[in-house]
Amino acid sequence: MGAEQAWVLAAIPAGVFLVLALFGRALPRGGDYLGVAAIASSFALFFVVLADFLDTPGKLGPVVNDIEWSSIGDTFDLRMGIFIDPITIVMFAVVVTVALMVNIFSIGYMKGEPRYHWFFAVLQLFAASMLMLVMADNLLLLYISWELVGVCSFLLIGFYWEKRSATEAAKKAFVTTRIGDVGLLIGIILLWKEGGTFNIQELIHLAEEGHFSQPYLFTALAFIFLGCMGKSAQVPFHVWLPDAMEGPTPVSALIHAATMVVAGVYLTARLLPMFEVADGMLLTVTIVGLITALLTGFMALAQTDIKKVLAYSTVGQLGFMFIALGAGEPAVAMFHLMTHAFFKALLFLGAGSVIIGTHHNQEMDRLGGLWRKMPITGTTFLIGSLALAGLPPLAGFWSKDEIFVVLEHRWGAWAVILLGISAVTTAFYTTRLFIRTFMGRPADPHVYEHARETPPVMTGPLVFLALLALTSGFVVFHDVGKALGFPGGITEFIFLPHHGPHEYELKWGFAAASLAMAVVGIFSAAWMYWGNDLRRSTALANWQPGIYDMLRRKFYFDELYQGMIDRGVLGFSYLVSWFDRYVVNDTGVDGSAQITGFTGGVLKYLQTGRVPNYAMAVALGVIGLAIAGLVVRG
Amino acid sequence: MRDYALFIPEYIACGVALLVIALELFAPRVRKDLLAYLTALGAAAWFAAGLAFLDRDPASYQGLFLSDDFTAFFRLLAAGVVAVVALISAEHLKRQRGIDQGEFYGLLLVAGSATTIMAGATELLTAYLALEILSFSLYVLVGILKRDLRSNEASLKYILLGAFSSALFLYGLSLVYGAAGTTSYPGIAEAFAGRDAGLDPAVAVGMMLILAGVGFKVSAAPFHMWAPDAYEGAPLPITAFLSTLSKAAGFALILRLFSTAFVTDAESWRWAFLALAAITMTVGNLIAIQQRNLKRLVAYSSIGQVGYMLISIAALGYGDAQVGLNATSGLLVHLIGYIVTTLALFSALTAAVNRTGSEEIAGLRGLAETQPFLALVITASLFSFAGLPFFAGFTTKLFMLQGATTSETIWVVALAVLNSFISLYYYLMVIRQMYLFDPIGEAVRFRVQPVLWGLAAVLLLGILLIGMYPGPAFEFSEQAAKPLFETASAATARVQAP
Repeated sequence: MGAEQAWVLAAIPAGVFLVLALFGRALPRGGDYLGVAAIASSFALFFVVLADFLDTPGKLGPVVNDIEWSSIGDTFDLRMGIFIDPITIVMFAVVVTVALMVNIFSIGYMKGEPRYHWFFAVLQLFAASMLMLVMADNLLLLYISWELVGVCSFLLIGFYWEKRSATEAAKKAFVTTRIGDVGLLIGIILLWKEGGTFNIQELIHLAEEGHFSQPYLFTALAFIFLGCMGKSAQVPFHVWLPDAMEGPTPVSALIHAATMVVAGVYLTARLLPMFEVADGMLLTVTIVGLITALLTGFMALAQTDIKKVLAYSTVGQLGFMFIALGAGEPAVAMFHLMTHAFFKALLFLGAGSVIIGTHHNQEMDRLGGLWRKMPITGTTFLIGSLALAGLPPLAGFWSKDEIFVVLEHRWGAWAVILLGISAVTTAFYTTRLFIRTFMGRPADPHVYEHARETPPVMTGPLVFLALLALTSGFVVFHDVGKALGFPGGITEFIFLPHHGPHEYELKWGFAAASLAMAVVGIFSAAWMYWGNDLRRSTALANWQPGIYDMLRRKFYFDELYQGMIDRGVLGFSYLVSWFDRYVVNDTGVDGSAQITGFTGGVLKYLQTGRVPNYAMAVALGVIGLAIAGLVVRG
Repeated sequence: MRDYALFIPEYIACGVALLVIALELFAPRVRKDLLAYLTALGAAAWFAAGLAFLDRDPASYQGLFLSDDFTAFFRLLAAGVVAVVALISAEHLKRQRGIDQGEFYGLLLVAGSATTIMAGATELLTAYLALEILSFSLYVLVGILKRDLRSNEASLKYILLGAFSSALFLYGLSLVYGAAGTTSYPGIAEAFAGRDAGLDPAVAVGMMLILAGVGFKVSAAPFHMWAPDAYEGAPLPITAFLSTLSKAAGFALILRLFSTAFVTDAESWRWAFLALAAITMTVGNLIAIQQRNLKRLVAYSSIGQVGYMLISIAALGYGDAQVGLNATSGLLVHLIGYIVTTLALFSALTAAVNRTGSEEIAGLRGLAETQPFLALVITASLFSFAGLPFFAGFTTKLFMLQGATTSETIWVVALAVLNSFISLYYYLMVIRQMYLFDPIGEAVRFRVQPVLWGLAAVLLLGILLIGMYPGPAFEFSEQAAKPLFETASAATARVQAP
């Protein structure tokens, strides 16, 4: 098997999904071992694909394998296939690794839950769709996988559907991301219309040759970027991700931190050569990323649910990735995507371990001091936190530092200063999260008394991911990449054709600044919360209650949207049907003609008061059209 | 030469129609569902005869009717729909008393034949007569439940408003005739191309009146108000018939008329279709959200679908023959997808309603438990309507919207995608009833009549096949769309020559 057969990676979990969905109920232990085995074999096969890809003569040329799906008339020929390039390889690495860890972790986390087999079945479907998404060579297959991962996310967020909040959150996620999907589909139609193909590489080629006019390309890409924003929860679509935390925690780690939510980043990276051609698109991406990183950094400050803090942090870090893309650097974005996937999955699984260890407590107000009770979870969580805060030599430091470098290079100092604020808040809320959960005085002695470390099936994945969080940042260095069999560091592996590969060099000024930001955030949070003592933070909240309330309510986005939906869509719908009911008097066929009986003939029916109204609507429609017609032609 | 042979398939259809009526008249004790099967058989023969007319050179009957691949497409569609509706009716009508079933099945076949004529008509009065044959058959079919007051009321409303819109249509025809001096489509195209029609208010008004007439037929807003009432009052199979073939026939007439006769004066009407498209899809989808009755929900959702389809007609006017060809083939392929989906939905709904007797959305409560197969078919068809991948509605709508995208129509295309996103909301409400709620009464599995089960299964396969392998359906549609633009470009060329 070689890279041409990479579709097998997706086919295995897809097959296991069918088995689990149909027969899972009858299998012993719900067939969880089948799920783990499927992902484990995809994980193993990934290395076969990787070895083959790196061996391909003509170093790193993309591997393409497609079949003619449907040839339509003489105008159009639809091919479906896979496209493997360094970006896909990085995505593969992230998806199979995190999926394997999450599957193993879930055996412990989901133990004894109802619909256990269904949970594992959907995890397999998700893995299959996500792998298909990152290797699709055309936008149609990509869109289908895109919708499928969305459906899996919907099913898993609403997994506890007896809980009203879970179904509400699932609905919200579905609706919000689908608004973006509407944009994505329109964008795909537009590109197809002018380009005559769904194939991504052909479209990029056409764009570079100037086949699309500038405004057309910008419009199409802006629509596609809407889809990316929805999926990757960028402001103003970010509202669904924190609510999605209603799903089981392993799902949050896999789908809502490491893989599905980065699909938008992936797609933008994939189409980046087109984004470069369209004037203004990269600046748009940068601004969206900056706004998101800034706002969510503040929103996370006032959250008390550990999973919600992590969710806002995820949104913010996705913003960081978009900023790297906006600077025209896919390598940096993919690098941060990878390190983030590892340490954020680690943090979420750590949170899951806390939830199980404390018998379903996830509010910081009831935690504290857990490090003593849960040493493995505490230590790995600390590693994840420091990686997120950006402390060297952990993974997050290297990738975040690179983002500052490329941002300054492309857009100048103003952008770096804005992002710096976000980096400080990130370090701050991460430290706050760690201290209030694991250190100092237990907030609720009862919870503390009963807390205990989770079994090895859960701590094992934590340790593995902690190792990755410690080391995965080093792939930026030339010699490390070389030693692993790559041509060099990650910037020599992923690059835009016209930029060419370039070797990473550490810029000491940026590294120092980056370290300073992390240290400022960490120490101010430590000063404020040390010992899980809330006096200082309460004083601060009371000093400016308005600001505190604004942060706690997340800048009122939810209230704003609720109002828009109530007054906007539903209001309009009520208005239209009110018009139908009362003005046109459409009450349906309710047999009201019965009142008048049959004896009176036709005229009686007319007195039901509706037929003339319907006719009036028709007549007004005609008159309107006729007048408009005369005006148009006049 | 008077080529009567062009109508052989319709002779078969009408012959079977007479046979069915006569059979009930002279052998009143014959089992009623046999009539249904006879009708389906007749429709199958009609379909087979229609196949022989594919891939032939266009042949005209007296300049009134053109037999080409476009006509053949709608003939096959009509035969297929009549067969399926007859089979759906077989079980459903057994339960209704006081129906003259011979009449019912006979009129189905007659209405189907009228569709062919509407698609093939190349002359205004022929088109009008065919439209009236279809309408009159439908007036009776909607009111066929003689003892059901709701059916009577629906039928009466439909007749009154139908007559009103027919009058508008006819008046429009006379204005166009007055301006062009001919009623033949190529003649009108020639007359309008020769001069600046914009100066002639009679033409502008005439076209709008015609548009209102056909807009009524396909239930485009604001001419849609009869539809929910008629759908609600009609027996379930006739609701299926109304929402499939009746609309398809309207589009057949519009396509032929506007792409051949009025194409040379596109500025007069293209904006109107675009405006109607935007209004229709929005009104249909927004009102659908509020519905409680299944038939009314389907009515409004199909109004929404019509809105999407109207963009293709507008695109006809905004582009050259190549754009027109793409837009038309997209529309035709979406008609196939839409019709297969609707029929799948109705065969499953009929099976469910036969059991529960309730036509409310809430009547489907817990169907996933009592009859999982029906719940699956209904879910698949609703997903197809909403345009989710893997299902016919996604693929065919994608083709249609792609074909309909021009620089002028693009914003309505965007609105269409947004609307189909809204539509998912009310489809999910139905699906929620079936999967998340417990059945009313005790949860016993019930059996579905084999005919309906088979129909639903075949149509479900159709939805998936078209959704995942659209090649054949699209090629068929493209082949059907071609003749319209060959004659059209020929007509334009002829006009421009001197």
